[in-house]
Amino acid sequence: MTIPLNEPTYDVVWPLGKPAYATRAPVARVADLSNKVIGETWDYLFRGEEWFPILREELTKRYPGITFVTYDTFGNLHGPNQRELVARLPALLKEHKVDAVISAIGA
Amino acid sequence: MERCGIPSVSVISTGFLKQAAVIAKGLGVPDMAIAEFPGVPMTQSKGELRRQVIELLLPRIIAGLSKPLALSALQEAVLPQPRDIVFSGTLDEINDYFHEQNWSDGMPVVPPTLNRIEKFFRFTERDPSEVIGVCPPANRAATVWNVAVNGVMAGCRPEYMPILLAVTEVICTPEYKIEDAGSTPGWESLITLSGPIIKQLGFNAGQGVMRVGRQPNTSVGRFLRLLIRNVAGFTHGPEGADKGSIGQSFLVVLAENEDAVAELGWQPYSVDRGFKAGDNVVTVQSVVAISSPAYSQSERAEEHAALLADVIGERACGYWTAIGMCYANWHPLIILGPSIAAVFAKDGWSKADISRYFCEHVKIKASTAERYAYGAGLTGFRINNAVNEGLLPQTYHESDDPDRLVPVFQKPEWMSIVVAGDAGRNQSRGYVCNHVQGVPTSRKVVLPKNWDALLAVSRRKK
Repeated sequence: MTIPLNEPTYDVVWPLGKPAYATRAPVARVADLSNKVIGETWDYLFRGEEWFPILREELTKRYPGITFVTYDTFGNLHGPNQRELVARLPALLKEHKVDAVISAIGA
Repeated sequence: MERCGIPSVSVISTGFLKQAAVIAKGLGVPDMAIAEFPGVPMTQSKGELRRQVIELLLPRIIAGLSKPLALSALQEAVLPQPRDIVFSGTLDEINDYFHEQNWSDGMPVVPPTLNRIEKFFRFTERDPSEVIGVCPPANRAATVWNVAVNGVMAGCRPEYMPILLAVTEVICTPEYKIEDAGSTPGWESLITLSGPIIKQLGFNAGQGVMRVGRQPNTSVGRFLRLLIRNVAGFTHGPEGADKGSIGQSFLVVLAENEDAVAELGWQPYSVDRGFKAGDNVVTVQSVVAISSPAYSQSERAEEHAALLADVIGERACGYWTAIGMCYANWHPLIILGPSIAAVFAKDGWSKADISRYFCEHVKIKASTAERYAYGAGLTGFRINNAVNEGLLPQTYHESDDPDRLVPVFQKPEWMSIVVAGDAGRNQSRGYVCNHVQGVPTSRKVVLPKNWDALLAVSRRKK
């Protein structure tokens, strides 16, 4: 025998919060990396000390005049002084006339 | 970088692409250029790493910096207003719907109806629309309203609302770094509660204090996990930002046994945290690991200290201290059983004396700490460099011997000791903090003016 269910129903609301950000498109890319200044920002994790030099070597072969502002200029952006170092990043990028940035590494 | 008007590409390993998508969206740049680093960099040989970088990563970096990006539609979907009814159904239907939407933690939730939510607002004088803060990485607003919604869902009673608000204030504080709550160690937030509100609301501070079961301890702990999922974005579903590799379950509230503390003549934890005795205070911190139960036996304080330093200090904290060194920040917590605390107090030891003992007696080889750090991915860390940069004290570099012993605990004042647990046993336990992520952060619990009267009414309705 089936017992008819007379369950109550509930009207419920949304449990999330509204996004507190404005969405925008990324800035325009650099069409040709030749003669450009590339900044490196690193969180001092996951063997970046091994593969950043490989990237520099390979990019230099492909793009004449390319130069690098290496990660040690910006410091460990995920370390004990993260907030201070991130805060000074815009000024450093401007000072070194950086055209594009390789940011690493999320792992 | 993009905010500075400079094009950038982010290198992300394969297993982290979903997290990167949530972070990019939360930063307002959902179409951010990403170059996938194939596989797990920490398990690749040098040759394999080089080949992957040249053959796969390099072309992706070049493309990310120089090729036009495919842009998604930037218009946000129309989002519900707080009082909008988003679903109607039976208890089972609501739970199915919430699971499908990733709004739940896998356990049944109490349906967040307007009637239930309104009851929570009786226990605060704050406006429901007030924004308490913004929680990265999803960068959604935590409001008085959605605190109540998630409190209802977690099974909290309305009178817990002042605690829920104080806890939310903590996780919205930038120094708490809630944005890192989805990091691979899989840390959880632990709420420690001090003050008369413990007894007023019936929190358990005694036997089984950290066990799921007592309504206030359990539901408030669950609330925090739900809020972190629904507001900060740390779900592990298809769109989630939670990357806890193995992870752990939410922690129930640790309520301090303030009666035991008073009998010993020690100050309550709230005073350790800079508040007055008698203040209701929440302190939230990360917990990345929990020690074995430490059973110490003696009528002498020093023998207890030695056993606790061995089990909690060396064995539980020894491995993770390396990560604490890397970030020059680390805040382990010890739950001291009341009977053990009594022996310390009888011999004239304060909580600060116990912390100092840990700092002076628990050591690890420098080479071992560096090996642990490297394995965790902190490949750029060297203890000597950290000393030279002033991040660690000189005691960490008293010689160049790689096997010299260095302290596991950096500063006594960074340790917390809370008296709680089984008064009828001789057990303590250690809780390991995840360094700069989830540093202990405290807030006073603000009660409404008519708290006692409201509480009396609420008790009569139970």
